[in-house]
Amino acid sequence: MKVDNQAEQKAFSELYGTYAPMVYRRCLSLLGDDAEAKDMMQDVFLRIYDRKDSLDLSQPSSLLWNTATRLCLNRIRDKKRRGLDVDSSDTLLNIACADDEMDGYEARGLLAKIFSKEQESTRTIAVLHYVDGMTLEETAGMVGLSVSGVRKRLRTLQARIKDLEVKR
Amino acid sequence: MTTIRKISDFKMERYLLGELPDVEMRELREREVSDEIFAARVKKMREENDRILAECPFEAVEARLEMAGKSPSPAVGTAFWLKVAAALVVALGIFSAVFMGRDVVTMQSDDASMEVAMADAGDTRIKGLDARMEVWKKTGDSAVQLVNGDEVREGDEIQLRYSVPSRCYGMLVSLDGNGTFTMHMAEGKDPVMLEPGKMTTLPYAYRLDNAPRHETFFLFTSHMRFTFDESNLNALLKNKEVSNVIIELRKPGR
Repeated sequence: MKVDNQAEQKAFSELYGTYAPMVYRRCLSLLGDDAEAKDMMQDVFLRIYDRKDSLDLSQPSSLLWNTATRLCLNRIRDKKRRGLDVDSSDTLLNIACADDEMDGYEARGLLAKIFSKEQESTRTIAVLHYVDGMTLEETAGMVGLSVSGVRKRLRTLQARIKDLEVKR
Repeated sequence: MTTIRKISDFKMERYLLGELPDVEMRELREREVSDEIFAARVKKMREENDRILAECPFEAVEARLEMAGKSPSPAVGTAFWLKVAAALVVALGIFSAVFMGRDVVTMQSDDASMEVAMADAGDTRIKGLDARMEVWKKTGDSAVQLVNGDEVREGDEIQLRYSVPSRCYGMLVSLDGNGTFTMHMAEGKDPVMLEPGKMTTLPYAYRLDNAPRHETFFLFTSHMRFTFDESNLNALLKNKEVSNVIIELRKPGR
C-alpha cells in the first residue's frame, strides 16, 4: 500500500474496520447479491481514498452511506443499460436510471468537491426518501440540505419518473 | 392506535456504531432489552460484522490500492488521515462491552474519592491513535495511578481503566507470580467489542491476593477476532494483528 506512514495506514484501516460492515449491508440491500456487494464495498473505500482531499469527514457514516448508495445506483444503471439482469425493485430501478443533472457535473469535473453535502446526487436523495423511507427532514439531515431544498430536488426528479410523489 | 415506525437501516447502523444522540441510544437500548425481534436483528448484525471483516479483510483493499499504484498526495495525506482519526473518535462514543470477571475477588467500585481522583487525571476523549490502559491503587481517601515497576502488596485495591481510539476487539487480562491468569474484561477466552470514547473504568475493582513477585496487566486490542490461550501467551504477544499494552507491577518481599 502506498500510504506512506504507519499512522495514515492505521487510520484508513480503522475507518475500514469500523464502517465496512455497514457499507457492505448497504450495498447488499441495493444490489441484492453478496459477491457484488463485497466488491462494491471495496469500491466505496477506494473511492473515499481517491477523493480524500475534498471529503467532508464530519459524519463518516453519512458520507459512506451516501457514497455506497450512489455507486450502487451507478452499478444498477450500468447493468440495466447493458441488458443484464437487475435484482432491484421497480422504484429503485427507475431512480437508478433517471437522468440526474448532478451526475453530469461530476463527469465534466465541474464540482471540485463532488462528495460535499451540497452536491449530493438527486438520485441518492431519492433513494433515501423513497426506498429507505426516510422523512424529508431525515433526508435533508443526511445530505446537508434544507427540507425545501430536498423537496425541490425531488420534484425535478419527479418530472422524469412517474409514480414518485414527494411525501412528508 | 399506536404505531411503531420501522427503524431505518441507517439508524440501526448508527445504533450499532454508537453514533445516535443519547436519547435515541437509550430508547433503542431499552427496546433491545424488551423487544425480542429487535434484539434478534441487532444480534444478527453484530455477528455479521465479524463475518464480513473476516471475509473481506482490510488487506484486500490495500492490495487493490497497490495494484492501482495509488499514493497519497504529500500535501494532504497526513492531514487527511488525522481528520479520519479525529472523526472516528468524535463520531463514536458509546461503550457497550460485556464485562466478565473470573477467579478474582471483586468489589463494586463505588468509592467516590477513588473515582474523583481517576477522573481528575484525565477523563477526556482520547486524541492519539493507540489504546491506553491505566492501573490505579486506592490509597486512603484517594487513588494513585501506577506505572511500570511500581510496587504493590497483598490486599491492595486495584482499579483498571482503558480507552481505545476506534471500535475494536479488546481484552484485559492479568498474570500473577503464581502463573495464574485473571480475565478482567473478556467473554470467556474471547475479546469483547470496545467502543472508542472517554477513558472507561471497569465496573469492578479487585483486591490483590498473596501471589508473589509481580502482577502484570495486559490490554490486547485488534480489529480482528482473536483468542486468549493461557498456555501460549507469547503467541498472542507476537501476533502482529493484536496490539498490546503491558503494565508490570512488582510485589516485593516474598
